[in-house]
Amino acid sequence: MRLLLRAIVSAEDAGVAADRGLVAVSATAVTALASAWDREGAATEAELLDHHRVIQSVFEQVPCLPARFGSTFADEAALRARLVQREADLAAQLSRLGHRCELAITCAWRDKGASAPIAIVPAASGRAYLERGVARTRTDRERERRAEEIVVRLLGELAVEPAFIRHRTCPRPAVAVSMSALVTRDQIDEINSRLERLGGQLPDVTTVVQGPWAPYTFAVSE
Amino acid sequence: MTREAATLDVPLVELVDRLLNRGVVLTGELTISVAGVDLIYLGLSVVLSSVDTIRAAGAEV
Repeated sequence: MRLLLRAIVSAEDAGVAADRGLVAVSATAVTALASAWDREGAATEAELLDHHRVIQSVFEQVPCLPARFGSTFADEAALRARLVQREADLAAQLSRLGHRCELAITCAWRDKGASAPIAIVPAASGRAYLERGVARTRTDRERERRAEEIVVRLLGELAVEPAFIRHRTCPRPAVAVSMSALVTRDQIDEINSRLERLGGQLPDVTTVVQGPWAPYTFAVSE
Repeated sequence: MTREAATLDVPLVELVDRLLNRGVVLTGELTISVAGVDLIYLGLSVVLSSVDTIRAAGAEV
């Protein structure tokens, strides 16, 4: 039976698989939770989001490392073999990250023009073409500079250890800042309050906080 | 802070980005269709372009 990997938990927490219809494949210290995945062809958006639902269900009960969507194995033996190879690294990550949550902080430009598709209109002249390019470059630089300012404000409000923060500025036209913060559950209310206060001081962006999620961004593959 | 999204797609894309690009990888090979776009890849690292692909397909992100 082909398996789709969902998450890694401590071997002593393998019991969470039972009431979620998951298959538990254990090494000595860690257990892989997986679902039967015996169909061919493309996965769907619904299945992608279901992956998140399954991970969150596990994460709400026990510490876990979320798996990137798409790790499939021919059978339990194949999964176990790979799990044993990676066991030391996974156990260390689980110990370091498993009890922490990820908050996803997104600052989206309020200006709808930021995400408007670029119109392909022939320029009246070579000079007009170049001037249009210069204007767009200037706008992009101004947005990047503003996004960096917002990052500084966010970092100041979060007061989270730098190792527990990842961020990107202007990753997409509509987004100024995409940030991930690794926090403990008892920090969440305080952080939300701080970000709510900060959001009121940033008139050019809408700040959205999502989570707590399993620590997707901080669970790395060696 | 406003808890509404500038567009509804912004939070969704943030989640999709994490599901496809982050998290533990042991191995994997899968073809995914998201938002009507077939994302065919031979290794998981190629999925890094997925969000941009969704945007190019017309989703407001």
